[in-house]
Amino acid sequence: MKTDERKETFADLKSGRKTRFIFTGLLILVTVFMIMDIFLGSVSIKPSEVLRAIFSDTSSDYGTIILKFRIPKAITALTVGVALSLSGLQMQTVFRNPMAGPYVLGISSGASLGVAFVILGFSSIITPDSLSGLGNWILVAASWAGAGAVMILIMIISSRVKDIMTVLILGIMLSSGISAIVTILQYFSNETLLKAYVIWTMGSLGNLTASQINVLLISVSAGVILSLFLSKMLNALLLGENYAGSIGLNVRLARTLIFICTSILAGSVTAFCGPIGFIGIAVPHIARILFKTSDHKILIPGTILAGAAVMLVSDIISQLPGSESVLPVNAVASLIGIPVVVWVIMRSRKYSGAF
Amino acid sequence: MTSLKEILKLSSLKIGYISGKNLNVLLPPLNACANGGELIAVIGRNGIGKSTLLRTLTGLQRPLGGEICYSGKKIQDYSRIELAQKVGYISTEVIKVSNMSVYDLVSLGRFPHTNWIGKLELEDHDVIADALVKTSMEPFRRKLISELSDGERQKVMISRILAQDTDIMVMDEPTAFLDVAGRYEILHLLQSLTRNNNKTIIYSTHDLQMAISLSDKIWLILDDELIEGAPEDLMIAGVFRRLFDSSAVLFNSDDGTFSFRSETRGSIYIKGDGEKKLWTEKAINRAGFRVAKEKTLPFIVIPCESNQCWQLISVSKVLDFNTIYELINCLNKNSI
Repeated sequence: MKTDERKETFADLKSGRKTRFIFTGLLILVTVFMIMDIFLGSVSIKPSEVLRAIFSDTSSDYGTIILKFRIPKAITALTVGVALSLSGLQMQTVFRNPMAGPYVLGISSGASLGVAFVILGFSSIITPDSLSGLGNWILVAASWAGAGAVMILIMIISSRVKDIMTVLILGIMLSSGISAIVTILQYFSNETLLKAYVIWTMGSLGNLTASQINVLLISVSAGVILSLFLSKMLNALLLGENYAGSIGLNVRLARTLIFICTSILAGSVTAFCGPIGFIGIAVPHIARILFKTSDHKILIPGTILAGAAVMLVSDIISQLPGSESVLPVNAVASLIGIPVVVWVIMRSRKYSGAF
Repeated sequence: MTSLKEILKLSSLKIGYISGKNLNVLLPPLNACANGGELIAVIGRNGIGKSTLLRTLTGLQRPLGGEICYSGKKIQDYSRIELAQKVGYISTEVIKVSNMSVYDLVSLGRFPHTNWIGKLELEDHDVIADALVKTSMEPFRRKLISELSDGERQKVMISRILAQDTDIMVMDEPTAFLDVAGRYEILHLLQSLTRNNNKTIIYSTHDLQMAISLSDKIWLILDDELIEGAPEDLMIAGVFRRLFDSSAVLFNSDDGTFSFRSETRGSIYIKGDGEKKLWTEKAINRAGFRVAKEKTLPFIVIPCESNQCWQLISVSKVLDFNTIYELINCLNKNSI
């Protein structure tokens, strides 16, 4: 039998082992960062106190801090990291652009516009303070719709303009245009609604209500599960739409599914945490560097783990352990993401557009 | 090995683009066919619609009329996956993906054969390994595609199509980026795939000489029709000349070479024979002179011994030249 004779070469075995090793390493890192994120914070609590607060004395002051604040925040950070990174990976493949990501191409702005319409337009019914249950879902759905609309616009632009940098510049103009619309909406809305919107734009990982975290978790899980089904399609799309079509991919269906998945992932995060920059571009590249592959069956789980790790680290740093002040997590995430993005730009110059 | 089964038939096929509500039909209805195991060159001037024809054959564009039948079944009756198992495609587009190994790229050819997540079974790995062996790219399997030369990349693309395991392979200018040696290598590979693996290969090219010497059949696309036949039949029918009707290029059906249509500056007789005569003829043709059939003035005497020179004998004088280069320079400077 021919199949029995087939032997994996030593190099193949080694690379498989290396992949497993990196996965294990990332998993350990995520766990460690998760624990650190819970144990460290602007109020220093002894590890023993933390454990006691979690397992026995839940009603103490420390218990309140840990259970009502730190754990939800750590869960949010993890979810946000996963969602943004995964949407970035999918966008980079579907647009065949190493610089694609929810933030730079204006997808986050589109999501903000959706939210602005809900808060500034209709919130006589749903005030942000009472945002819960159905209200949260409406907010998230508006955010998805906004993100999806911008995705379609960018797709149209990408199909006409082949140059990656031009698409980026048009993406930036698109976000400016959307911000202008939001500004006009703000101009016409009353003081209460305006205040509600401004508070939303300052959103961070820390002030999500339990029901908002539920909505976020459900949406992102749906996105992650959908993305696992998309890995074969994403691999085919790496070749470009002509080759993908010639090997039997329904390109239109694949794009629609990927757009839905990306809009859910990026839109949900933007709806509750505001725009968070550069994580979406940077993390997929970190995963590519670590695993040295273009196969989405490896890159998707790799990006999920790396995204969770990076966002948790950003959150740990933003709390400035040992001091009493807290930095905005958006800023920390950008500072981590930007060097990676700069590196990718420098490198893609060298390979003339390869990603 | 080759069977003479008709595998592809085009009947009054109309190709072109739909822009808005208008049908933009590029060519008059095309009729052609292909048998199993044939190497078919598609030839036509730039912009006539070769790529559009190949894209239509692959199912990437819809026919605007007429029929394409693969093994007697209309292309519309194939599902995407079935069609991808029947026809493979290589365009002129270069795939640029970082971190993609040769093996990864070739394994994407298994797309229409794998399950929803694209898991490669042992059989798939066997097919991929076999495809790499056939194109002698096995030693490159772990290399990244961004590190390959143009010729190697083209061979990897051919391996990918082989892994796709289709009866028909459609290729748009597979030799476009390659040097002469690379072109021969690729075309010989294609020829051996048709001979040994019974693949039908339809490829477009601008290299008429190579297409004539290596293809089993030529689809010659002209403005008003598609003419098909063995290259030699088309040579005898003299249809290749119609490719260049309006241009400054002349096709010599005697030897399958090209020359520029230009005004002649006169004729020169060449006395002598052998290799030196052949090249002297080519040189004076290039300088714009015809070779006279009978002995007239001026004439050129070809050296027989290595220490002799080229002699140009005209009415008034006799000139000696050590090289053809000097001879031509003299012809270009003076009117004779």
